Amino acid sequence: MSAGGPLALAGPVGRVAGGGLTRRRLQTIVIGLVLLVSCAASVLALGLVVESESPFDHAFAAQHGADVTAVVNPGRASHDQLAATAHLAGVTAAAGPFSQVTTSAEAPAPAQFGGGMAQLPAITLAGRASPGGPVDQLVLQSGHWATAPGQVVLATGQSGPQIGLPLGAHITLNGLPGKPTLTVVGTANSVTGSADGWVVPAEIGRLSSPSTPVSEQMLYRFASASTLTALHADAAELTRALPARAVAGTQNYLAARDSETSNAAPFVPFLVAFGVLGLVMSVLITANVVSGAVVAGYRRIGVLKSIGFTPGQVVAAYTGQVLVSAIVGCLAGVVLGNILAMPVLAQTANVYQVGALHVPVWVDVMVPLVMCCLVAIAAVLPALRAGRLSAVQAIATGRAPRTGRGYGAHRLLGRLPLPRPATIGLAAPFARPARTVMTMTAIGLGATAVTLAVGLTSSLNDVVQGLSHANAEPVQIQLPGGGPGPGITEVPQDCPPGAVVTTPKGSHVCGAGGPQPSAAAAQRAVQTALAAQPGTAHYVAEANQQVSIVGLTQPVSVTAFRGDATWTGYDLISGRWYSGPGQVVVGSRFLAVTGSRVGDTVTLEVNGKQVPVKIVGQAFNTRDNGLTMLTDWPTLARAEPGLAPDTYDVGLQSGTSATAYASSLQNKLGSHYFVAINDAHSDVLDVMLALIGTLTLLLAIVAGLGVLNTVVLNTRERVHDLGVFKVIGMTPRQTTAMAVCWVAGVGLIAGVIAVPVGIAMHRAVLPAMASAAGTGLPPSYLTVYHGVELGALALAGVAIAIAGALLPASWAAAIRTGAALRAE
Amino acid sequence: MDALVQLSNVTKRYDNGGPAAVDDVSLTIAAGEAVAVMGPSGSGKSTLLNLIGGLDRPTSGAVTVAGQRIDQLGETGTARFRRTQVGMIFQFFNLLEDLTVLDNAMLPAQLGGMRRPKARARAGELLAALGIERHANAYPARLSGGERQRVAIARALVNRPALLLADEPTGALDTATGDQIGRLLLDLNASGQTLVLVTHDPALAARYAHRTVRLTDGAVASDETRPSARDAAAGVGR
Repeated sequence: MSAGGPLALAGPVGRVAGGGLTRRRLQTIVIGLVLLVSCAASVLALGLVVESESPFDHAFAAQHGADVTAVVNPGRASHDQLAATAHLAGVTAAAGPFSQVTTSAEAPAPAQFGGGMAQLPAITLAGRASPGGPVDQLVLQSGHWATAPGQVVLATGQSGPQIGLPLGAHITLNGLPGKPTLTVVGTANSVTGSADGWVVPAEIGRLSSPSTPVSEQMLYRFASASTLTALHADAAELTRALPARAVAGTQNYLAARDSETSNAAPFVPFLVAFGVLGLVMSVLITANVVSGAVVAGYRRIGVLKSIGFTPGQVVAAYTGQVLVSAIVGCLAGVVLGNILAMPVLAQTANVYQVGALHVPVWVDVMVPLVMCCLVAIAAVLPALRAGRLSAVQAIATGRAPRTGRGYGAHRLLGRLPLPRPATIGLAAPFARPARTVMTMTAIGLGATAVTLAVGLTSSLNDVVQGLSHANAEPVQIQLPGGGPGPGITEVPQDCPPGAVVTTPKGSHVCGAGGPQPSAAAAQRAVQTALAAQPGTAHYVAEANQQVSIVGLTQPVSVTAFRGDATWTGYDLISGRWYSGPGQVVVGSRFLAVTGSRVGDTVTLEVNGKQVPVKIVGQAFNTRDNGLTMLTDWPTLARAEPGLAPDTYDVGLQSGTSATAYASSLQNKLGSHYFVAINDAHSDVLDVMLALIGTLTLLLAIVAGLGVLNTVVLNTRERVHDLGVFKVIGMTPRQTTAMAVCWVAGVGLIAGVIAVPVGIAMHRAVLPAMASAAGTGLPPSYLTVYHGVELGALALAGVAIAIAGALLPASWAAAIRTGAALRAE
Repeated sequence: MDALVQLSNVTKRYDNGGPAAVDDVSLTIAAGEAVAVMGPSGSGKSTLLNLIGGLDRPTSGAVTVAGQRIDQLGETGTARFRRTQVGMIFQFFNLLEDLTVLDNAMLPAQLGGMRRPKARARAGELLAALGIERHANAYPARLSGGERQRVAIARALVNRPALLLADEPTGALDTATGDQIGRLLLDLNASGQTLVLVTHDPALAARYAHRTVRLTDGAVASDETRPSARDAAAGVGR
């Protein structure tokens, strides 16, 4: 070796590494692709898991959320006094004052609800010149910020209008004189929901009236704000610092965080499950590909050693060769992972009700670092082994699998009544048991992900149906003065007298056309209309009340049904439906909070009367966070003699259009009633299905790349045998079939094993998701795999194997016979 | 005799503009002939054999074997052609190490769709004729060079091909074993098997073929026919 030092030594090593890269282009590309997809899947999965751990906290920190929002009476505190509160001891940042008004509004209803205008909940509009600031930075999620009067940016998330208005829609502020309109120009998120919408500051003056006075909004961040006690102390200090009765009210961030936690928690178990699958697969396949690439180069290593390369130089050359393609693949994978994560995280942020979620920078750095370290280890170990072998041994080892391996399998499989190329292919994996086990594991994990995804999709659809009752009771009728029934998300909270409601038949003023009907008259009207309406299958009246439970400080929502309600779509987790007075069916959280079980007796307190009831069943019902109770009419009427229904649940005959039915019924009943269609659509479900689909696809691709690599390595090792097969008359199609069979048998076994593993994961993940959401699950939501489906899922492994094998199998078939025969 | 193999102005170049590995060769081989193709290294012997066996396609010219223009066949067609019309044996045997002797011999028949029992019977018959039936369940690695070459011959003959191509069949064998294989080939030819033998050994060519085609730089330098010992005794060719 020359005396030129490390640089001179690096020359030959670099040339060998470079030669390997260019000479083995296919292998270089495969390594790069595997690392690309593995890194992308890892970045996506890990990023989602990290962001799901506490999305609110991340967003709160990123958006400088307000610890305390104070609403101030401008008549009692001047701007200077408000500005001075920013310098109070303990205040680390302040924004405002922002003028705000609260008024009623109406907006166009979606077409599936019959069009027309829908009354919105009371809306609070604040005047802000820009979305930024030292506190409560708003994240613009669509459109642009308001730049002129007449424009409004609506809030997304918890305080956003529930009707989902598109950009360009017009809101009519019907609680104000002149009923001014605003055009929706954008949507934005305030992590604590400081307002329902934002306009330019000058707009607030136009929107104020004697009935809608202007108040001032101040936003604060405090040094000590981690507990409710600290937040109360902060609010008290603020109140003391301003003139008496200047502070009309305060709100802290903890309520917003509690709401987000219940939304985010169910995601974590299934993200962790897919994330772990993805990371394990990535590690496995990367190690398989890289170590296989080095082992395939043993003969070359032997030749290098025979011309004087030291073991250290051999290790350096091969590790460097694989690291080059791995680094390129990792960097591209980080970019791809972030690109894939953007839409998914945007949807997830919406569900979590936070402004924005991003893949943390440390994930972008850590994933490629770990992957490259893994690649280095996977390359160094076999390269070290080759370096220790003599040149002759390395050449001999690199030629073919050890003699004797797989011979028995050939003899056994050769007896099967299958085409000979297939039996030869099926026996091949036995010659390389370690590679076969790794390939089978990778395929198995991919097939497990498919099985888990199929099960989760079915179960989540069951969950949405179970929560919405859309199948059982697609239509609900809200009586005058009644509250919203379960499952209805698009019901106006009230119809203030004088407010305009437009139906397809025309506009009506709430309360116009006569006084509001009495409860008895309303019931008669609804029952008459339902009896006469074509398509009505059955209906039941329900009354919803808040009652106290002896021993419990928080109220419980009770729904009492008048008539048979067994068809209303409540799926039971345990126990049974009530069969008579004095029996109730409760939600999971009720049992948790009261410490009771099915079979126990609890006591309702209504109007000072105590009513003991027996819990006979637990229903899947997350309304009011599961603190719910279902019972029959006499049970509640015992303590509430004047009990009257507020809602009618309607089941339709098969083939009846819910939209047409609801529209027709609304026209007949008039504007005092609201006929709503149960919507089974769920943003949460959409996000989960998108995540499931994306992660499953990535995992299947990674598994397929692992298969591709295995077939490429097999082809290279057996190139001489391929030549012999072709000489004796194996056609290209037979060669392709044989090469596919190298992995098809392995895929079949992996797929069969994956089915029970995937089912077991499903049985673990789904209850964990439900538990995180504070509810149990009906057993039927877990038994979603059936005969034909199971058979198809068992073939998922074969499908992955064939998909990964087809391309390299066709290359094997196209190998030139003469060149193959000359290969050693 | 009818022409079994006909090469008409066949040229094969591996690089455009480079020298021809086979240069404008026209050759006819009749059914039942035993032809030795000789020449120094790089003269085009193996290339010529590959062209006749359909392992390669000529750059120009026509190759006809058993009445079929094999230069016009696709990959599937040439594979089927080799399976049915050609048996090939090689210097280093080219057996499949993870299949038994019997499985190796049966393989071309099974690739052609022959049922296992029938293929087994046919292969067994050949192994017996070649004197190696006792090794039927052994693996090639355990056999001597001569025994492996016999397995290769059995494999080459299992589909009763019209043409047997041998590329240096005794090149990896000792003299005595090589003689045995040579006599085997002679016996096959005597029973009517058409044989094309590539060799660089003139003694081998003289002993086991009655016609020698010499190639030099890809072209036919000479094409000599000698009466075989049998023919000489029978007065054939006078």
